[in-house]
Amino acid sequence: MTRHLPALLFCIPMLTAISMPMVSLKRREWCRPMALAAVWAMSVTAVVNLVVVLRSGEIRYAFGGWAAPVGIEWVADGLASVVMVAISLIASICLIYSGRVAPHPAGSRVVLYYTLILLLLAGLTGTVFAGDLFNVFVFLEVVALSAAALIGMAGGKALVFAFRYLILASIGATFYLLGVSYFYAATGTLNMADLAQRVPGLLDSKAVIGGMVFMFVGLGIKMALMPLHGWLPDAYSSAPDSVSPLLSALVTKASLLAWARILYWGVGVGADLEITQILRLVWGMGALAAVIGAFLALTQRDVKRIFAYGGLSHIGLILIGVGQGNQTGLAAAMFYLVNDAVMQATLFVVAGAAIHQYGIQTFDELGRLRGRAPWLIGALIIVSMSMIGIPPTGGFFGKWYIILSSLRAGNYLAVAAVMISTLLTLAYLIRLWVRVFVGDHVSVNTERVEMPFALRVCVGTLTVGIIALGLGSDRIVRVLLQATTGLGL
Amino acid sequence: MFEFIKATLQRPNYIAFVVLFVWGLYIAITHHNLVKKLIGMYLVQTSVLFFFVTFSVKTEATVPILLSSTDKVQARGYANPLPHALILTGIVVQVATLGVSLALVTAIYKKYDSLDEDEILKRLE
Repeated sequence: MTRHLPALLFCIPMLTAISMPMVSLKRREWCRPMALAAVWAMSVTAVVNLVVVLRSGEIRYAFGGWAAPVGIEWVADGLASVVMVAISLIASICLIYSGRVAPHPAGSRVVLYYTLILLLLAGLTGTVFAGDLFNVFVFLEVVALSAAALIGMAGGKALVFAFRYLILASIGATFYLLGVSYFYAATGTLNMADLAQRVPGLLDSKAVIGGMVFMFVGLGIKMALMPLHGWLPDAYSSAPDSVSPLLSALVTKASLLAWARILYWGVGVGADLEITQILRLVWGMGALAAVIGAFLALTQRDVKRIFAYGGLSHIGLILIGVGQGNQTGLAAAMFYLVNDAVMQATLFVVAGAAIHQYGIQTFDELGRLRGRAPWLIGALIIVSMSMIGIPPTGGFFGKWYIILSSLRAGNYLAVAAVMISTLLTLAYLIRLWVRVFVGDHVSVNTERVEMPFALRVCVGTLTVGIIALGLGSDRIVRVLLQATTGLGL
Repeated sequence: MFEFIKATLQRPNYIAFVVLFVWGLYIAITHHNLVKKLIGMYLVQTSVLFFFVTFSVKTEATVPILLSSTDKVQARGYANPLPHALILTGIVVQVATLGVSLALVTAIYKKYDSLDEDEILKRLE
């Protein structure tokens, strides 16, 4: 029974998404309870899956009973299970938030809205578990299509940005598919475990090297790596406020996770030193993104755009960890990935609440929060601490391990990049706090706005999550380290 | 250099792939009309699918169905079915992408009454 858990995790959102338009044809008010029940069931299953994987080792699920190199295989190891728990918990918090705090589409579009969210979750589950290159492509497309449709739901200019995102994401996916075809032509297999055995003999093949570069460029567009990030700030800042926490927390991370998996589990960079050139490219681009992203965040005036650019610099930080080529680096990067998902969700939940409860749109109006929104300000303080990296929070431990791994690899430039990006993050957060606490009172009415109960639940859980990630960092990193042993690192 | 050109000319299918790929990318980048951008994207996707099919061609091989159940299986006589199955999936993904993007284009056209990107961006402000 327990070995079916990964497939079950995919089936819950997928089947609910398919049945939703039929069930809720007459009764639209059923959509939200159905979606909530699905994500809660997913969360419980994900936790059970994690416990099972930690107790009795990884689950390799062969679909239809066809064994690995021929059939389609899903791998639920420690890493995938940890990420899956994070995804389903964040999704359930975001669903509580959407519709109660930020309004979701009215009328018949409610059905589409919840269907798309569940499809997005199904795609993310597939990307996390997929054990072969082609499956990753298909599920990334599922994620991209549902994300584009969700962004477009805001109407108006969001339509244009959703279209731009869709075109770029599809071209990115096509580059990725081209890389996959190079790999297939050179090795004759798509399964990652099988690939890891065949690639080492083919490292001087131009097809393998070209394929890796094409894959990196394609996934780079999807993960919004710095020079390829053009679609992200517009798309996320114009997306409906009810889904932007979900999108910013999860969509780009899925491609990043897929890239780390291909590098270490598929190609097996740890096994061979000849291929470390590609790692140099990975951490180099990551360092650029970390510094330039934080710098661009400093120049923005819209609250959601500041957070979007901040997210770009965090993608860079994770890539620095991935590119160090040692076990600590990989585990640290994956830990920071989970962390960053929680932080981004918190930031966008707070931003959405500020927009809808207090009517704050730009940066200059942030002063309205002062003295009127203790919950929001408390959450902002905790998340800022985590983004800068102040001890009891998860962000500190993530950065700590990334720096540790860079030092172990003797890579002082990467350490400098992490430091500079941290300083720039500190700078844009200080700029934000000055507006909240020091600037002129913009508003004249100082009455307290009633905080909906749902918002308190979301903000409370997310901040507790950030601190829990910090306090439990030791255990989580140990699980991730265990998941990355045996890669020849 | 001559050797390289000669080797390349022996594989006209790869040349066709490169031409289609770069052409599609060029259209998607340079044209301002949203539908033309879509056509460019479609060309890029199709070229990669074409590439996948074309390198898996096997001469003097037939469909992977056993001709007789008693003879020994000669793997050389059968084509590999996997690339074709992958391409079918790829085509489905492509159709889905095209459908969603056309829906977005129609929504944009209804809203802004134009398909020209510059015109639309001007109206955004």
